[in-house]
Amino acid sequence: MSRLGLDRFSALYLGAAFIIMFGIWTPRLFLTMSTVDTVASSQAIGAMLGIAVIVPLATGVFDLSIGAVVNLTAVIAAVLMTQHNWNMWGAIAVAVAAGIIIGVVNGFIVVKLKVSAFIATLGTATIIGAVQTIVANQTQPLQASSTLWQNLTQYEVGGFQVIVFYLLAIALFFWWLLDHTPMGRQLYAVGGNPEAARLSGINVAKWTWVSLIISATLSGVAGVLYCSLSGPSLTFGSALLLPAYAAAFLGSTQLKPGRFNIWGTIIAVYVLAIGIQGLQYVTGVQWLGDMFNGIALVVAVAFAALSPGLKSRRKRAAEAAGGAAPQKTPEPVAG
Amino acid sequence: MSDHFPMSAVSDVAEPGLPEPGGDAGEAALEVHGLCKTFGATRALLPLDLRVGRGEVHALVGENGSGKSTFIKLLSGYHKPDAGEVLVGGRELALGSATASHAAGCRFVHQDLGLIASETVLDNLYAGNGYPTAFGTVNGRVARRLAAEDLARAGVDLDPRRVVGTLSPAEQTGVAIARALRRSDGGGPQLLVLDEPTARLPDREVGVLLALVRSVTKAGVAVIYVSHRIDEVLEVAESVSVLRDGRKVASRPVSGLDHSGLVALLAGDGVEEVDVSTHVPPPPDAPVLLTVDNVTAGRLREVSFEVRQREVVGIAGITGSGRETILSAVFGGLPRDAGEVTVAGRPVKGGRPDDGVAAGLAYLPPERRNAVVSGQTARENLVLAALRVHWRWPLLRRRDERAEARRWFGRLNVRPATGIEQPLSSFSGGNQQKILFGKWLRLDPKVLLLDEPTQGVDIATKAALHKEILAAAEAGACAVVSSSDAGELIAVCHRILVMRDGRIAVTLIGKDRTMANLTRASLGTGAASNGTASNGTAGPGTASDGTAA
Repeated sequence: MSRLGLDRFSALYLGAAFIIMFGIWTPRLFLTMSTVDTVASSQAIGAMLGIAVIVPLATGVFDLSIGAVVNLTAVIAAVLMTQHNWNMWGAIAVAVAAGIIIGVVNGFIVVKLKVSAFIATLGTATIIGAVQTIVANQTQPLQASSTLWQNLTQYEVGGFQVIVFYLLAIALFFWWLLDHTPMGRQLYAVGGNPEAARLSGINVAKWTWVSLIISATLSGVAGVLYCSLSGPSLTFGSALLLPAYAAAFLGSTQLKPGRFNIWGTIIAVYVLAIGIQGLQYVTGVQWLGDMFNGIALVVAVAFAALSPGLKSRRKRAAEAAGGAAPQKTPEPVAG
Repeated sequence: MSDHFPMSAVSDVAEPGLPEPGGDAGEAALEVHGLCKTFGATRALLPLDLRVGRGEVHALVGENGSGKSTFIKLLSGYHKPDAGEVLVGGRELALGSATASHAAGCRFVHQDLGLIASETVLDNLYAGNGYPTAFGTVNGRVARRLAAEDLARAGVDLDPRRVVGTLSPAEQTGVAIARALRRSDGGGPQLLVLDEPTARLPDREVGVLLALVRSVTKAGVAVIYVSHRIDEVLEVAESVSVLRDGRKVASRPVSGLDHSGLVALLAGDGVEEVDVSTHVPPPPDAPVLLTVDNVTAGRLREVSFEVRQREVVGIAGITGSGRETILSAVFGGLPRDAGEVTVAGRPVKGGRPDDGVAAGLAYLPPERRNAVVSGQTARENLVLAALRVHWRWPLLRRRDERAEARRWFGRLNVRPATGIEQPLSSFSGGNQQKILFGKWLRLDPKVLLLDEPTQGVDIATKAALHKEILAAAEAGACAVVSSSDAGELIAVCHRILVMRDGRIAVTLIGKDRTMANLTRASLGTGAASNGTASNGTAGPGTASDGTAA
């Protein structure tokens, strides 16, 4: 079992099984370059959000505002360009800055006001939703029409939309940051045992704050890219929240079991997506995404109870996740 | 085994196989025949025979990893043995089932008492299962009466309405014992297993607990008493079994044993216990490394002291005297209300452990769960406090980390020696403590602040850690050791500060560092030659009144 890595690589085996199964079932639909491209780019945003939640999760805190940040920054970028005729880079800068500010505010509430991150970000998520409605002036903003804006994510490189490469770059960066720098090691230490980390001379408050800024900033970037890819939406972000956590928890059972990790999460995102895509080709029903993601989250967290490594951290997370589950109607694999 | 010692009815077991016929000292509360357990390739417990009579206190001693915990977990049904038979009160126990173990009358009080500090004694007694009720409502009057009875049976004199968090540690243990023995809870208890009940008790409260244990046995309950503390074993137990490497090496009445005899049985080839008075004392003109000036924090009231290079200073005192908080306040774990701390002339900010570490302080917390980062490996825990040395842009050099971890594992003799990539929490307590020592020693700190440094570790590890403390001091650092174990303070400290009511009441130096003086000074009864008696340079042999351990 351990030789084959059935435990640590179970998602890879599952993915391979999906590909073979649907490849035989519907070869003409499933085994095409366009399916590969569709799955790869449609899931890129979801995978970025998976990475965004991993950073605070590694530090032992939840950020439930990421979905709201995606919505807000997407709407900000669209409104600035279509209604105020800003150029693209200016709009992007303001949108991402909004994400950074939200991260700073989240950190302030958690670190200085000592509100649990779960509650704090649930609260700010709701506030951000209200701000988004104000910014959008209660109407669905239009998509900006410039080619440059569309090329930002949809430009084809080697058969893939360029957003896939953004994801790769982001994943590489955060893999380096979390796994190969003192900062990453300290983040994990804070998540593993905040008191032990503090008594080792690690500034727990600082890293908690930084991790919330990172998640909000990365969500802001993801929101801008999402807007460029599919246009602004008032609901898409909240539909991404649950899949992001499902991927992060499922990912923590992979590669390095018991530790939230980047590549495990990316694998989880894509294995889920391949399964959902294949089933949709076969059955054509719409509820598969919800069903799949919900089951994946519950199963992944349940697995956590069986793995001794990060039992405590994930138990805490699992308890908290129980309250986070009901979300607005998600629609995660819209082609 | 123990052939050359006189056999006794209560101590040694009959030949394995047949159950004891009725018993020569009355019916046995517990009989164990050939109980054994392996985990993978590890033989955790070799076939074990044991007999404990009714109302007997039978001590179980052994180093960490000797098989004590395995035995207890087999009794409690947590593990299923590979083979063997257990009789409780003459009836065979179905092994591997916690329910069966409980029904047969086995009760367990673990080191972690499992009490809810914010609730009352009453609620702690009955919250788990079964308040007395009338029509589905808790019947308060009956509950209080039952609680009083349950407490009285365990010999605890307490108002059941008190909140557990306000009780002394010994009283809390008493509540846990009362809960384990309560009558409303299934059949009558036959056997009470106390797993290191005094590990977290200050010396003064140990006596209270031992009295409790005796009162429990009066009710006919047999007690298996697990402890690392030799002296209390000799005091409370009638018989003792010694485990080493999963094997029972002796089982005999306590009456024929003394401290050194039991230590010899425990450690096998004998442990060289540390005695600071045989070392060269620090020169009186050594530079001052740590200055604590009028620090007020938590229970501390304007505490001042200095520690010179190469000096080891002890902090003694009963629970609540400030002993438990002083090191944390110096380090910055606990914020200071007032006062200054300087390390070799550099001021240290209050409430800022990161600044303390930067100034050259190292702090080992009293509770291991506040020191071990779960989910990180031994290596990651070891290097945590100073990662920069292995950081060369753009990567943390993992190979260097491993090499360093291996060096420390070798130097501190950590077992398993190949375990650097295993989670730290998977090591035994003593080995965890060694790794945590290494975590701070590798920083070459100027001042080592060690809070209960050898709590719950076995004698051999304790001696090894004591040697490390003295070695660090002799290499040019200094150390402050806060401990509830008076023998430990006498063994390693040049000077002992005794705390009372948040202040340093007495300083004991040289041959004044005796058990009797420490106890007197801690309790504040009778003047224990106040202040500085002889001047630190008293000759060797002052600390060995046979109580040091």
